[in-house]
Amino acid sequence: MKEGRTHKKFQKFGMVIDLDKCTGCGSCMVACMAENNVPFRKDESNKLLSITWMRVYKLTNGMPFPKIDVCYLPRPCMQCEGQHEGHSPCVSVCPAIATDYSMESGIVSQIYTRCFGCRYCMASCPYHARYFNWWDPIWPDGMEKYLSPNVSPRMRGVVEKCSFCFHRYQLAKDRAFMEGRPELQEDEYQTACTQACPAGAITFGDLNNPKHTVSKMAEPDPKHSGRPKNPNAFRLLERLGTNPKVYYLSSREWVRRAGDNYLKNEKKVKKPVHHG
Amino acid sequence: MKIGRRGFLSFVIGGAAGTALSPLPWKMMDDSSIWTQMWPWTPVPEDGEASYVNSVCTLCSGHCGITVRKIDNRAVKIEGMKGHPVNNGGMCLLGLSGLQLLYGPMRVKTPLKRTGKRGQGQWKKISWNDAVSEVVEKLRDIRSEGNPQTVGFISGSDRGTVSRLFDRFLTAYGSPNFMRMPSVRDSYELTQYLMQGVQALPGFDFENADFIVSFGSGIIDGWGSPVRMSRVHSAWQSADVKVIQIEPRLSNTAAKSDKWIPINPGTEAALAMGLAHVIVKESLYDAAFVKNYVEGFFDWKNRVIDKYNPDTVASITGIDRGTIVVLARGFANASKPLAVCGRGNGTTPVSLDECMAVNALNALVGNINKKGGVWAVSEPNYINWPEIEMDAKAAAGLQHERLDGAGSKTYPFTRYLLPRLPETIDSGEKFPLQALFVSGANPLYTHPDTRAVRNAFDKIPLVVSFSSYMDETAQNADLILPNHVYLERYEDVPTPAGMIQPVIGLSRPVVAPQFDTRHVGDVVIQMAKGLGGSVAKTFPWDSYDSCLKETLGDLWNFLMEEGFWSNTGAMPPFFGTSYETASGKFELINKDTGSIPQFKPVSIEGDEKDYPLLLIPYDSIRLACGFIGDPPFVMKTVEDSVLKGKDVFVELNPKTARNQGLREGQRVVLTTPKGKAEVKVHLFEGIMPGLVALPRGLGHTAWDEYLAGKGINFNALIGPVEDPDSGLDAAWGIRAKLEKA
Amino acid sequence: MHTLDDHAKDISEDAADEAGPDLSLEMNLKEQDTGAGGTIILFFILGLFASLVVGWIIFPKLLYSNKKQPIDFNHVFHVEEVDNGCESCHFFRADGTFSGAPKLAQCIDCHEEIQGISPDEIKFVEEYVSKEREVPWLIYSRQPDCVFFSHAAHIKGAQMDCVTCHGHMGESESLKVYEENRITGYSRDIWGKSIGGFKKNTWDRMKMDDCAECHRENAANIEITDIPTPTQRLIDHIVNLVPPGTSTFGKGGSVQTERDPCFACHK
Repeated sequence: MKEGRTHKKFQKFGMVIDLDKCTGCGSCMVACMAENNVPFRKDESNKLLSITWMRVYKLTNGMPFPKIDVCYLPRPCMQCEGQHEGHSPCVSVCPAIATDYSMESGIVSQIYTRCFGCRYCMASCPYHARYFNWWDPIWPDGMEKYLSPNVSPRMRGVVEKCSFCFHRYQLAKDRAFMEGRPELQEDEYQTACTQACPAGAITFGDLNNPKHTVSKMAEPDPKHSGRPKNPNAFRLLERLGTNPKVYYLSSREWVRRAGDNYLKNEKKVKKPVHHG
Repeated sequence: MKIGRRGFLSFVIGGAAGTALSPLPWKMMDDSSIWTQMWPWTPVPEDGEASYVNSVCTLCSGHCGITVRKIDNRAVKIEGMKGHPVNNGGMCLLGLSGLQLLYGPMRVKTPLKRTGKRGQGQWKKISWNDAVSEVVEKLRDIRSEGNPQTVGFISGSDRGTVSRLFDRFLTAYGSPNFMRMPSVRDSYELTQYLMQGVQALPGFDFENADFIVSFGSGIIDGWGSPVRMSRVHSAWQSADVKVIQIEPRLSNTAAKSDKWIPINPGTEAALAMGLAHVIVKESLYDAAFVKNYVEGFFDWKNRVIDKYNPDTVASITGIDRGTIVVLARGFANASKPLAVCGRGNGTTPVSLDECMAVNALNALVGNINKKGGVWAVSEPNYINWPEIEMDAKAAAGLQHERLDGAGSKTYPFTRYLLPRLPETIDSGEKFPLQALFVSGANPLYTHPDTRAVRNAFDKIPLVVSFSSYMDETAQNADLILPNHVYLERYEDVPTPAGMIQPVIGLSRPVVAPQFDTRHVGDVVIQMAKGLGGSVAKTFPWDSYDSCLKETLGDLWNFLMEEGFWSNTGAMPPFFGTSYETASGKFELINKDTGSIPQFKPVSIEGDEKDYPLLLIPYDSIRLACGFIGDPPFVMKTVEDSVLKGKDVFVELNPKTARNQGLREGQRVVLTTPKGKAEVKVHLFEGIMPGLVALPRGLGHTAWDEYLAGKGINFNALIGPVEDPDSGLDAAWGIRAKLEKA
Repeated sequence: MHTLDDHAKDISEDAADEAGPDLSLEMNLKEQDTGAGGTIILFFILGLFASLVVGWIIFPKLLYSNKKQPIDFNHVFHVEEVDNGCESCHFFRADGTFSGAPKLAQCIDCHEEIQGISPDEIKFVEEYVSKEREVPWLIYSRQPDCVFFSHAAHIKGAQMDCVTCHGHMGESESLKVYEENRITGYSRDIWGKSIGGFKKNTWDRMKMDDCAECHRENAANIEITDIPTPTQRLIDHIVNLVPPGTSTFGKGGSVQTERDPCFACHK
């Protein structure tokens, strides 16, 4: 197979979430819903049906009183890259080309009008980051006034998920075009959850750009599909090989361990390998 | 020519071939797929010009700066204001859902007059003129009968021009019964008054502290100004500040702290005294500060040494002796230690004992009015209005004692005692309340013993609500005069809860009023003008906006430009000279009242035999429990271990559950001396055995269908417990039992 | 051998017997055909012709309803009056978003009072300007909500001309009829005037394929030196057992389509 690609260095947008700082307040969830026209229903207590592109999970260490510990874990779409470019679990199964991996941004898109609702991608997503619209979105009379024109409301029967607020990238690019700048600054494209987080627990940026804070925090190792070199950093279900772009930081061993499945006799989380 | 079967078939085949060769099927396929992809009933948000308006969020006392994104005339997103001293771009989930409150179905769209029985929800629309003149008539009657003191006003706040207009109106009218909603600020104000001789706001310099002992304060669960506290919490993580959380349940704050120390509920003051004991006995206190600026130390010291040795405290609090001693040493040896109280999100007061004991701890380490300490923050006084003109009727009315007993002989220094109101009304020991106005408050939901509050309200002939939303109080009012919501009106916003530097914000209209509502300030001015005489003269302004502009003076232009004013270089009042007590020092013992930091158990309602368990509330930032209820977005964030369908879960330690024969998810009846309700059991290792915890903020009977009828209201199951020293409601829980449903 | 041959003969005779009636039927048909074969072809041609007429001529007439713009507008005249061409009225905002059809605010500078004698202008001033109502223009190029289109990226970024997509709108003296698709509600200009979907000029159609055509050839962000031909690509895929959607060979950054990523134009 010959590949004659001498392309510019791609961007690879990713997120680092500091679980020591996260207070589990849920601002990211609501910021996301408000930004992305996410619908709501009268009863949202069935969490399998409740559409939350960003969802904060509550983890416990399973110890008895008073040794119990709790940690919150915000879960956006992991924008998996897979083991080779764009082989994310969902993109590779979509029969309708409704979800796509972008080499330019590293973002997994979801095209609602293209989706015919087979939910194969939901089955393949190991992070439950995808949601199906079982109902028409209905806003109470007058409330549709707050809907943002930058994100299209989804119809019944399609799958939706976090887009890393890609429309914000587009808007930032528009401004840059206007000002004749080819590149965006780090702070020009930030997701709604990053911006809203009262604790400043979320950092967003280009993982391929060593100057961006996310790269400095997570220290992704390109030789090992982005596995973090920072010993406090981990990714969810690392060993599945999904190569997600969301990194978590925690100083607590049990939290890092909760990020993957381990056999009972497996004693320690494998220390990230250091190179060079 | 005869068309035979073959001819016909041939025609059809030809037709099919022709159709296939024509664009019809392909175009139809394309169009119908477009149609199915864009159902006409799926809304298409209109595009337009984007603009941003800076304002201030007033949904809680956190007062974050907000930047609202607009597309043409529509507000589409609320974001935190960058560079604002409180939140610097961050935003809590309630503030982020503000547009659902602006455009939502819970809004009262026009003035309403009750037609059916109270609370039946039968209303008729009336015009603003009719509504205001109806109120004025009633007020005029009451006044002409010589009973102006029988009019009361419940307000969410007592700061800022709007609240001051209410107060001013009542004073000019002749009633002393202006009441503020209770919070831990009541306890702190009284404590600071008794120990430091000042009437000020409690401010906490968390940013510069390095060892925090929190007596149950939900630092990241909504306490103080929530976004500021989140930012502070993150700064602590980076700076390695020690945080010790003392409370019976593993709250988010406890989980995020360096150490969680479970404590028998209601014994926080005992622990504070125990810590003081160790600090005093081991001479770990700031000797210079104590020597120069503290009065009554030696008397108090002897008491502390006598009564609160760690063993005694250990048996009261359930915390072992070693932990107490280590904690005391850690606190006293830290360079900037800070102790703080006020349970949960701080919307309920604590006993005077507890607040004074915690304040005494801060005094022992010398961090009163100091970097990293507790400050008595005096607000910039920009409200300088002309003297109130009082006629004879007003003067006579003001001679009466307040209905809630604040400022009476029993509670001379407490300013507001709203929780005592229902009981006073019920007992009829003073005068009856003939008219009650409620603004920025929802006492029928937020007050303990909601049934008793409702009964008391039923005895008031006229209840007027200024609520923008159909809340419980509005639903049970006679008249609703809906205020603009905060995104539709001007209002000055005073210093956020717990801040050390004074901030003045300006909340301003982001969009034009969406419905036929009116600024409550305008309504008060109109009521005054309607009454005429000296009351009218007290309100020389045409409208609220002109009043605000005039009051702010030069500040108005500044605020319009910048959105907020803040004294970033604010320094604490010099700790040596900032005491206005009789001795001029920080008084550990107030000679007038005999108040002293100590521990007396706050009584708890219910008999242990009938009610073997203790019910305590817990606060979550995802459940708004004040005068604002959860908007739909926030309801989405409520976990399914808190609310499932319409059922709320109570938290039980698995050990307790075993003893009671209960299991996860079981439906049970929760009974307290105040009431009973059906709930489900959730087993949680993070709660002390013997306790039952119920979240506050659910069980609304009004509001909208996204919130109402889900779970139960904690306040329906608990009654107020009067603190004998302050009169404040010091209840921290109630005895309870669980039975299988 | 003999016996076998005989047997074979028997069989072929049997076969001939069995085929007999069929053959005669064929004969009959042939006889009839000489009279009715032409009719059948005629019917076929009739059906073909009728359906072609329906598909190509009647169908578009039924599919689209003609709508008139609320008032007429002379682009030629206005372009002459302004300094900055199309962007004078269809301008970019400071944040890079595109204003689209002008609002009253842009027109009001000149049209606060009636300027000339055109009945459309009189209607405009009386019905809209003085009543402060926005003109409900019917937008020929209105795209579905799922489409994200950045004018800034095309005009400022790629330095394209308005004409490339919008045609010579600025040279029109009056607004053409707005043909609304009865099924989708969008203008006929999206599919293009030609019901067959053919186009001569870049501005004849505005469907996704038309965007994609350009985006395939001019995918902006990636510089690739040695692009395999589509055939070569297909062979490579097969030889290397690479399922579609897992490797990129095209110019674009999309893993699925080998064009620009879907989010480039979708929201």
